[in-house]
Amino acid sequence: MSDALRVENLKKTFQKRGAPPVAAVDGLSFAVPTGHIFGLLGPNGAGKTTTLKILTTLIRPTSGTAEVAGIDVVRDPLSVRRKIVVVVQESAAEIFLSVRDNLLTFGRFHGLKGDALRARADDVMEKFGLVQDASRKAMDLSGGFRRRIQVAKALLVDTPVMFLDEFSTGMDPILKRSVMALLRAEARRGRTIVLTTQILSEAESLCDDILIINHGREVARGDVETIKALSATHNATLEDVFVELMQQAPETPQ
Amino acid sequence: MTGLAAMLFREARLRATNATFIFWDVIYPLAYLLVFGVGMSSALGGNFAGMGAGYNDFFLAGVLGMASFGIASNTAWSLFMDRDNGIFYEMLTYPLSRAALLIGKVLFNGLIALVQALVTVVLAAVLLDVHVRWGGLPLLVMAVAVGTAGWFFFYAIFALMIRRNDAFNTVTSIFYFVFLFASSMFYPIDPLPYAFRIAAMANPITWQVDVLRYATIGLGRPSTLLLEGLLFLGFSTASFGGALWALRKQE
Repeated sequence: MSDALRVENLKKTFQKRGAPPVAAVDGLSFAVPTGHIFGLLGPNGAGKTTTLKILTTLIRPTSGTAEVAGIDVVRDPLSVRRKIVVVVQESAAEIFLSVRDNLLTFGRFHGLKGDALRARADDVMEKFGLVQDASRKAMDLSGGFRRRIQVAKALLVDTPVMFLDEFSTGMDPILKRSVMALLRAEARRGRTIVLTTQILSEAESLCDDILIINHGREVARGDVETIKALSATHNATLEDVFVELMQQAPETPQ
Repeated sequence: MTGLAAMLFREARLRATNATFIFWDVIYPLAYLLVFGVGMSSALGGNFAGMGAGYNDFFLAGVLGMASFGIASNTAWSLFMDRDNGIFYEMLTYPLSRAALLIGKVLFNGLIALVQALVTVVLAAVLLDVHVRWGGLPLLVMAVAVGTAGWFFFYAIFALMIRRNDAFNTVTSIFYFVFLFASSMFYPIDPLPYAFRIAAMANPITWQVDVLRYATIGLGRPSTLLLEGLLFLGFSTASFGGALWALRKQE
């Protein structure tokens, strides 16, 4: 099986004027096979979002390499963007447009149009419980509904790689469960999904493979059972292991 | 082309949600001409600055320049709205180049500026008896299109680099004051004091308005206007480069 993502010794350092440099990502290396759901976990400020921003061409790494679908994110960012869809951590909706227009507008950026686009928009609205609100403007919807639109857009298109930065924020448990089922189905179809989340039960139930980072460095890596085996406690949950690992980790970044 | 067309579609969809805004955009230069222009024409008489025509003839190009400047600043301001809605950062992950994002953003509003200019010129001729040189229409279309894009790119540099909406509004207020009044928009620059005249001659609004004035009523020397046109093209290209740089700094 080929790798959808390949990251080698990735580093990203931020430096504000007059302050010492801070390494947000500090030598990460990993690969994600095609069709896997990959969880990038860590406490706040661990470097998850920075890593995702590099992989989605929003920022450039200080050093190291990253390839998405075999394309270097620094050398050819536009080609990378043709292979990905991203649910950013912040709320992101065209608030003056209706739910349907949000989807139709987004689809056009990915080359969809006409009846095919409308049919797909209807399909994802059905899956995300948005049909009744199809004509309502996003500004009139709650934060949870706006999040639905955001995630629905990721399923509107067929890019080989999907990045989800805390996708379930604001979603009710029922919708979350059905979205997780949809994500599993997408992975079975061969789409690679990279997600970050603070809800570890979500990662435990969804991910084929997990990378836990802190201070921009790898702390643990493997499938859920491998990670759980790192705990001395019998029947530990992923959350138990995560807390143990973070308590063992040094307090301050290098 | 997909990205550019999608961006044009997006801007059109967004603007179509506020028809009043579009209506006002299209008619406000004419309204300006009707209120301010007619008032000044009456006060100054029928032979403004020895041109043998009224102030409205002279001011038509000024109001077109002002309108294109205004549409450009509003379009740049919408970058703040995109950022506040979070959609701006999501858009940076869409499959379109940074150049296409900028050009697509101004394309629809450039079309509005063209409709606005044509409506204004036609109605100025019909309602205000402005002596329009119809043969200059192709040059007028070019001056409005390049002008709106050039000013948008210029403003976009500041909209992208300044984080606070209120700070950007202060900058635009200063720009309105400096660019509009130290120019040939409201009055000829030849009788102005030396320092004022130099400032006006170095002002890109003067270059754009002078070309528009030649296009609308045939006033100006072609050799000077060619130079001014080339200077404005240079200003627009440099502003595009600056806006692209500022957009990449968002990464």
